[in-house]
Amino acid sequence: MADLLGVGVLFAAVAVATLVAVWLNKSVIPFYIVFGMALSPSVAGQLSVAGYALPVVESSEFVELGAELGIVFLLFFLGLEFNLDRLLERWGRITRAGTIDLAVNFGAGLALGFALFRDPLAAFLIAGIVYISSSAIITKSLIDLGWIANDEADPLLGTLVFEDLVIAVYLTIAAALVAGGSDLGAAATSVGVALSFIVGLLLLARYGTPWFERALQTNSNEFTVIRAVGITVLISGVALAIGVSEAVAAFFVGMAFASTSHTHKLENLLEPVRDTFAAVFFFWIGVETDPRLFAGVAGLVAAAVVVTAPTKLLSGYLGGRAYDLPPRRSMRVGLGMVTRGEFSLIIAAVALTGAGTSLSVELANAVYSFTVAYVLVMSILGTMLMQYSAPFEEFATARFGTE
Amino acid sequence: MDVTESDLPGVGKKHEVDIGGGQQLVVVTHNTGTRELYLKESADADSEKLVELSDRMARMVGTILEGAYFQPVESNHVETMLSEGTLLEWYAVEDDSPLVGETLAGADIGQRTGVTVVAIQRGDDVIAAPTSDVEIEAGDTVVVIGERDNCEQFEKLLAGDL
Repeated sequence: MADLLGVGVLFAAVAVATLVAVWLNKSVIPFYIVFGMALSPSVAGQLSVAGYALPVVESSEFVELGAELGIVFLLFFLGLEFNLDRLLERWGRITRAGTIDLAVNFGAGLALGFALFRDPLAAFLIAGIVYISSSAIITKSLIDLGWIANDEADPLLGTLVFEDLVIAVYLTIAAALVAGGSDLGAAATSVGVALSFIVGLLLLARYGTPWFERALQTNSNEFTVIRAVGITVLISGVALAIGVSEAVAAFFVGMAFASTSHTHKLENLLEPVRDTFAAVFFFWIGVETDPRLFAGVAGLVAAAVVVTAPTKLLSGYLGGRAYDLPPRRSMRVGLGMVTRGEFSLIIAAVALTGAGTSLSVELANAVYSFTVAYVLVMSILGTMLMQYSAPFEEFATARFGTE
Repeated sequence: MDVTESDLPGVGKKHEVDIGGGQQLVVVTHNTGTRELYLKESADADSEKLVELSDRMARMVGTILEGAYFQPVESNHVETMLSEGTLLEWYAVEDDSPLVGETLAGADIGQRTGVTVVAIQRGDDVIAAPTSDVEIEAGDTVVVIGERDNCEQFEKLLAGDL
């Protein structure tokens, strides 16, 4: 069903997912994925009601491209909101909390990934997947719970920003390693190409501000949107064509626009574009997932949850302490960081591109199904931990005191 | 007065204002323009959400707090001091005002009161620098410039007391 009807079913399904999310008062991202799974050939395709086949959304070219655009706009927004100058102002605390977070979780991820999959590349991918928390879900929960006005918001958002910067570098290397295959020379070449491309983009972001400023100089909202999308998607497309992560390219284009005077306008105008394609991306993740494979990875997911929920709790707690917060609030930082989401899925999508080359098809699929199941569990667990934080806070106060 | 501003990446900005007695007012301004108002009873207390306002609503409430919309003095019109003694004032024309139906020339406002009509607001329209043949209608808001005494004269004329 690659026709308009198929796309209509897709958008109607994600629209219904938003209704369900509002009704249950939960983050919508897991519902996009679950709805995608429900309408995928591996679920809806197997069922029929009273002799009629259920509508199935197959992974058509439109859905895949839409998902790709979702990744591009998600990362573009990260770059857009990434103000390097303001970050540098508070560099000390952010790096302390961020480094603890990176060392504890990436380290645990590497060990866990190797223990589970016995493959260095898979371990590297798993490390990224369990390291990166979900900016989208965590920020939304912060606002919903009113924590955004509290002191714990600072280390939480600061650490997320640090993670975003790390993930931009990480994705470059991961995409190049997956594309480069097991041949060490080829991998080194693709990492080299990717890094030079990134350096080029960095220079463009640093010195191209006047050009970006002029490019968007217009009174028409229409022209602003079109030009911004034109520049972003073109550069991302070029990146992908030469084997560099399109997400990273979009991140740097966002950063380039962030130093112009159009940032605020772009945020307002492009948010609906991002949200539309991000929904397609999450839905596509669902469509690509065969929930029957979950049974095979259930043990791995359980092991990952048992290891990586406490590691985030620990690193978040220490991060909060690095911001001089009392134990109770530091505990909240820990609870807040547990949620994993969109970036883990982006890494999983990268893993899938290596199926049959750098990763065996079986391994790529296992990493992919693992990630989807893991994100579903962690997004629900993480938001629940934030919602019911009281006993954890009492524990922290009782154990570590109030100062 | 102690105001702390901080960035909320991906959300917007946060302003914390000490309002005395250890209490803090926290204003979260979202990138979308929505403002959330929180109250913190003490520095280490949790924020309690008071209200959420749209961009437009927040601006209106802001103007009220600023005192620009409404001033707690006995005056049923808005007044702005241009310089010592000279005012720019807004007057609403009531249905029963004797000026309703008169043209500016016919009412001879300048001669009788000393003020100059600089604009007439009619519904959503503003007639800037109205010519002498513009007719005053009930519901108009007349904007005048003049000395304080002259403005008081005009207010009387408008109410039919002159």
